Amino acid sequence: MKPLRSDQLAAWSRTFAVQGSWNYRTMVGTGIAYAMLPLLRRIYAGDPVQLRKAVERNMGPFNGHPYLCAMAVSALGRLEMDEVEPATMEKFRTALRGPLGTVGDRAVWGQWRPICIHVAVLAYFLGLGPVWSALLFLGLYNVGHLGVRTWAYVVGWEAGLGVGKLLKRSWLETWSGRLWPFNIALLGAVAMLLARSLVEGAGVSLNGTALVGMGVIAGLIAFRFPRQGGRVAGLLLAASPVLWLLGALLG
Amino acid sequence: MTWSELSLGPGTWVLSVLAGAVLGMDSVSWPQAMISRPIISATVGGLLMGNPAAGMLVGVVLELYSMRHPPFGAARYPDTGPAGLVAGASFAATGGQAVGALLVAIVIGWALGWLGSVTIYVRRRLNETIVSPAEELAADPALLEQRHRVAIWLDALRGGVLVAAFLVPSVLVVTLAVGSGPSELGRFAIAALVLGLAASAGAAARSSAFGVRGWPLLLVGAGVALLLILGGLA
Repeated sequence: MKPLRSDQLAAWSRTFAVQGSWNYRTMVGTGIAYAMLPLLRRIYAGDPVQLRKAVERNMGPFNGHPYLCAMAVSALGRLEMDEVEPATMEKFRTALRGPLGTVGDRAVWGQWRPICIHVAVLAYFLGLGPVWSALLFLGLYNVGHLGVRTWAYVVGWEAGLGVGKLLKRSWLETWSGRLWPFNIALLGAVAMLLARSLVEGAGVSLNGTALVGMGVIAGLIAFRFPRQGGRVAGLLLAASPVLWLLGALLG
Repeated sequence: MTWSELSLGPGTWVLSVLAGAVLGMDSVSWPQAMISRPIISATVGGLLMGNPAAGMLVGVVLELYSMRHPPFGAARYPDTGPAGLVAGASFAATGGQAVGALLVAIVIGWALGWLGSVTIYVRRRLNETIVSPAEELAADPALLEQRHRVAIWLDALRGGVLVAAFLVPSVLVVTLAVGSGPSELGRFAIAALVLGLAASAGAAARSSAFGVRGWPLLLVGAGVALLLILGGLA
């Protein structure tokens, strides 16, 4: 039986919780089955044996970006409705895991989220209040979040087995390639404004030019050697309160 | 500052724990709307203590540090929801002015973020038991739904417990740093923090960049910000 619009809405809304039972054995597998249940119950209405088999095969190991898992949920639901062979479905699941993770990670975690954070922080430093800046981030980010999740669900249902090809040349990939230069420039601006804010609020005298110069060098070296740069950043972070408190104790 | 001047009362503590539960769920389990990011969680912490600006400042620093840990694949990353709330609330509760307190609050937030990541690991191991055996859950879809929701509630509990356990100790530790004024060594402390932020920004930029090219853009952004500062616009 074809799922109703209400079933589709229920499945889509459950994709928000797709990682709820994430574990190292099946990863997001149980979450996929959980999200698909409204569809499966309609498709296999009155046939508990087929429903059990469908749930079991969709509980297997799976992983992907959580927003794009909506695509897996609807596409696999579509295959169940179209009575595709279980072996084909299994191959499809396996093939989908890589692209869903890579494309989503690069577009959402790698570009969209940092850009929204940078915009909100810049707005804060340019005078927008803290609460409004936080709301700006949430609003901006979630427009993209809901857009991607909904697009993924709709495309998954419409394309079924064809989503793999669609994903490879999707707008998400194109936009990742276009957004990263803005992302990096915004990050440079945020770092500079934050440094100025900390130095001004500290009440200590520092040679601003020397500090900016050293900061630029530190940033560029860390860009070239991110792992080592990250470790140095962590050490400097831990050292700063120790130095401050030591200074206060010693005099 | 005296203890009676702190803005952390029992009601605020309870509200903070509830907020911690929601923030704890957000990063992985539900709904991933990114209320768990430090600029939100620390601002919420500040707001609960009546000083959102203090929370936001802590949040921005933690954000710049956590940005170089994107959750790609199986990467470990700090759990910034409860940690940001505790750090932001601690700084705000102690007045949101003293730089020594800010530095201590940031380090507490960072350490708590990594402790949170350990609790996420433990919860994921626990989830293996919760969603087993697969055959039993497949035979009873209602049971599958129930277990899945239990796992989500456990994540909320995890976030709430982290805030419940660390909020008061964190406020007390940060309070100790309130009276520590600037000193000669304090200059090095601020310089260390600024250089650390620059290094963190460089590493974070690389995780968003497509390869090693793109480094001049960091300079362009910093340059534009410098012009805004010199022009009095920021």
